[in-house]
Amino acid sequence: MKRGWVKRLLSLHGVLFLVFVYAPIVMVVVLSFNSNPINMMIWSGFTFDWYWSILGYPTQLNEQTLYVESTDQLLGAVKNSLIVAVSTTTISTILGTMTALALYRYRFRAQRFYQGLLYMPMVMPDIVLGIALLVFFVGFGVALGVMSIIIGHCTFLISYVFVVVSARLAGMDDTLEQASADLGANEWVTFRRITLPQILPGVIGGALLAFIISMDDLVITYFIAGVDSTTLPVFIYGMLRRGVKPEINAIATLMLTLSFIIATLGLYLRRRH
Amino acid sequence: MKADEEAQDQAASIAEVREAVKRFAAPEGGIVTALDGVSLKVRPSEFVTLLGPSGCGKTTLLRAISGFEELDAGEVRIAGAPMTGVPPHRRPVNTVFQNYALFPHLSVGDNVGYGLDVAGVPRAERNTRVGETLERIGLDGYERRRPDQLSGGQRQRVALARAIINQPKLLLLDEPLSALDRNLRKAMQLELKNLQHDLGICFVFVTHDQEEALTMSDRVAVLNAGRIEQVAAPETHYHRPATRFVAEFIGDGALFSGRVEGPAKDPVLVTADGLRFAVASGTPAGQEATLLLRPEHLEAAPKSPRASHGVIEARLEQSVFLGALHQFVCRLANGATIIAAPTGAGAGNLSEVAIGDSIRLAYRRDQPHLIPEVGDGA
Repeated sequence: MKRGWVKRLLSLHGVLFLVFVYAPIVMVVVLSFNSNPINMMIWSGFTFDWYWSILGYPTQLNEQTLYVESTDQLLGAVKNSLIVAVSTTTISTILGTMTALALYRYRFRAQRFYQGLLYMPMVMPDIVLGIALLVFFVGFGVALGVMSIIIGHCTFLISYVFVVVSARLAGMDDTLEQASADLGANEWVTFRRITLPQILPGVIGGALLAFIISMDDLVITYFIAGVDSTTLPVFIYGMLRRGVKPEINAIATLMLTLSFIIATLGLYLRRRH
Repeated sequence: MKADEEAQDQAASIAEVREAVKRFAAPEGGIVTALDGVSLKVRPSEFVTLLGPSGCGKTTLLRAISGFEELDAGEVRIAGAPMTGVPPHRRPVNTVFQNYALFPHLSVGDNVGYGLDVAGVPRAERNTRVGETLERIGLDGYERRRPDQLSGGQRQRVALARAIINQPKLLLLDEPLSALDRNLRKAMQLELKNLQHDLGICFVFVTHDQEEALTMSDRVAVLNAGRIEQVAAPETHYHRPATRFVAEFIGDGALFSGRVEGPAKDPVLVTADGLRFAVASGTPAGQEATLLLRPEHLEAAPKSPRASHGVIEARLEQSVFLGALHQFVCRLANGATIIAAPTGAGAGNLSEVAIGDSIRLAYRRDQPHLIPEVGDGA
């Protein structure tokens, strides 16, 4: 039997852990509503103005503190981020799922080695991948821009989708596909009616993961983004270099909300299947 | 066989496997021959069982018929048409899988109707046939259930319904009853047999359970190490097994190998360690053979046995009461065990013998089957 103080110590540990992880995030959210334009650490009142200001609306917290010189720039970065994230999610989900299916279905020479190669981009340091992609693009004369970011993100996001879908496939009963073929369904019908519904939670999970990572990626994108194709993380990083301003809290809170919605969506879909 | 006879025979067989050979690369290296020249014919409306221990090739043979395994040599014909290169979805056979393989994301109705949906059968007809098929297997009204809401026996029925709805020429069943408990299995055996009779389609049934095979089949093919040992009716397997393997695999019994000696009127099988067993008169001397003594052949020997009987000296080791019959486990001079399960008056005499006492067993010399030794020692 555990003694009372041991139990209390364990509870304290649990609480401290949560505080350690979530306090900074909670702080960002709270500060995004602080109306003090000079020192964000001193609470001076509740306001939505930072949200309005990043959207380009004039507010009482006048122009002198307004950091986002051009809202167009911010919105441009958001637009780039969304274009990149949607494209890479689509491409890497399709290719990653196909790869997972191929490795599940066929046995071939050096399969383990090939599998290892697929895991590699996940453990490779971002900075190495970033430099390598930059050298590659420049060396082969690929113009840096949204397209190069999409290609760059796909190189490692395919691996993430592959891993998630493979895990789902490993749990699938492989006689289901045989039963379908036995009942007269060709490969395509079997895939559409049996295999895809079975692995769909994995495919959706992989796609959401790819979307979040793509939206969030800084290091690799930083290397391979062109001058006019800044994504949101790269843009925020640029803002930070010139000092932490209250708008950043508002942007961070909005990004957090988006991630939270996506994660909830993922959990919901997982439960339904 | 003459050509026209062969043609006639071919038309009469629903499925035919000719000299099938299949080899696999074993995971631990080397080559495993799963099918080693197997030939088999399935006649119309016949219930054929492939029986054998695990690894004997029975499932591989089934999968060669359904198209999930390609043969290295030989061929499969279904209704006379060669199936080489024909993928599973174009073969007129359906399978009941060992684990049922019901589609978990589809309802019972959609599982059963899958074959019709894929074939593009109109909705109204499809629904009628699904309803009829479910009714036939005693699951009417279950259309909207999910597979995970069913019991093991019900899943088994759904798998069966799904496989018969397309009215295949041949239904393949891969140990479909192995996951059910004993009572349910017994009930399903009879039901399957009835269903097969009603539908009038061929069943090819795979099992390692000899009792199951004997209960249901018109003919049983006993497989061992990729070869067919014997194809025959269950009674033939039991009373006149062709090989030692079949004799050991089906039913209880003691086997004694030796050489037949003595005059034609009173031949005796002499084993290597000197045991002597009287065998049916007329058995030619000099033949190497194996004698199969079933428990029901043996009874207590009378004081002065007749010449028509063989007598065995043994020691009673154990007496087991099994309800309908009584088994007496006896040990012979060479250490071999033999089981006697006499019927009728013979049982009473044996019951009086105390455990450990010597005992004399007798059998009608023409009753036990004598398996002639074949060249390769099978």
